[in-house]
Amino acid sequence: MPRLIIRSFLLTTLLVVCAVCCFGQSTTGTVTMSATVSKFVEINSGGAVTLTGNSGGGVTTDGVANSPLAVSINLGELGPSNVNSFVTAQVPLKLRSNAAYVLSMAATVTSSGASSSRIVASDVGFGLGTVSRTGLGVNAGSDTNATSGDPTLAANGSVNGTTGRYEFTAVRSNLSAFSSATTALSGPIIMNAVPRSNSNGLTVPAIFAVKPQFFENGTTTISVTFTVTAP
Amino acid sequence: MRLRHFTFSLLAALILLAFAQTISAQALDISSGGLPTITGTVGGSVTGSALVTDDLIVTINFGEVSPANTNSIVKVVVPIALRSNQPYQVSVSVSGLNNGNVQALQASDIGFGLQNIRKLGGAGQDCTQSTHVIRSPFANDPSLNATIGGSGRVTYPSSLGNLSGSTIILSGPVLSKNNSIKRQQSDGYVFDAIFTLTPQFFASGISSATLIFTIAPGPNVPC
Repeated sequence: MPRLIIRSFLLTTLLVVCAVCCFGQSTTGTVTMSATVSKFVEINSGGAVTLTGNSGGGVTTDGVANSPLAVSINLGELGPSNVNSFVTAQVPLKLRSNAAYVLSMAATVTSSGASSSRIVASDVGFGLGTVSRTGLGVNAGSDTNATSGDPTLAANGSVNGTTGRYEFTAVRSNLSAFSSATTALSGPIIMNAVPRSNSNGLTVPAIFAVKPQFFENGTTTISVTFTVTAP
Repeated sequence: MRLRHFTFSLLAALILLAFAQTISAQALDISSGGLPTITGTVGGSVTGSALVTDDLIVTINFGEVSPANTNSIVKVVVPIALRSNQPYQVSVSVSGLNNGNVQALQASDIGFGLQNIRKLGGAGQDCTQSTHVIRSPFANDPSLNATIGGSGRVTYPSSLGNLSGSTIILSGPVLSKNNSIKRQQSDGYVFDAIFTLTPQFFASGISSATLIFTIAPGPNVPC
């Protein structure tokens, strides 16, 4: 008797299982999704270079807005025959990021001269000008300029009373402060959630200046590399 | 004695079969409609079954959607099969996208639309008195209709942001000709669920979401 009951139960269970298996249907389905947004930073040209106070020389390879930054400038004559107070080159930079950023710079200065009167890194003034965050999709934020701004400002340099040589004396106001990668600018996220086709961003001019003096004659090459990172 | 138990078993079986028939008579089914596809991705993927007799279980990884992905859009097409012997409706609910930072990925950043309703395997119920209706605003391919909004962010005619609770996206008359109790390779309908994501300067991070598609008895429309 108990055995028969058990058999009956097993049979009905089997039938239930078979019925469910046969249906093989479901009224729900699932789609799971994920996406990754990595930190992203970029530096490009912010536009054409402005060269002033030069005697000879010129912009060899100009900047093109929103294109990779690859500018080449001939500063021309830097001896006393150039009677301008400074030879100044302004190179517009454009930065974009979806995270806090740090802009650093490293510079090398090589001269054919051999004496202490040759052009050296400290003779090349440098600073970042006014930072601009404007345009649709650009995040408002406060940036920290680690340089002293326009190196030609009176507050950023003067003639050395002992040597007579003009010196850029303010904090990070000449290329000797950038012999290795050194922070020039930093700040919070630059771009809101907009596509890359939006060409706006943070713009800032990188200003280079040399005071024409009785430098040792020769040629000098100045190479500057900007790097932007998202620490 | 044995005969009595045999009779009992047989009776129970018949009751179960009758019950099963009742269930069958109200069958509603949602399943995979074929292999899903993904385009425009960097490091992403989509997995799902190519068999229309398999359950709808799809995993989408959009991959990198920062500007490091230089493609204009990441697009995923998920075919979904439906079978029913009665009027039906399909609803969707979404969970998991809760980024507090408005610059991070939001539900409205994932375009979502339905297109291309067609017979499953070339066979399905032909109804002349009612049509299958994609509910507003989901009748579009969001990859073809992405625009730049006032804030500079990409917008779509419909997105996951249009889902509120369990949202009906599709309804219509009976889908299947036959009253099969099993999933068939044909005899139903398939539609494409399209998901899009445009790479942008989103705040960094990883986002995820889960969508539940549900088929249920729908408005009583004639076939």
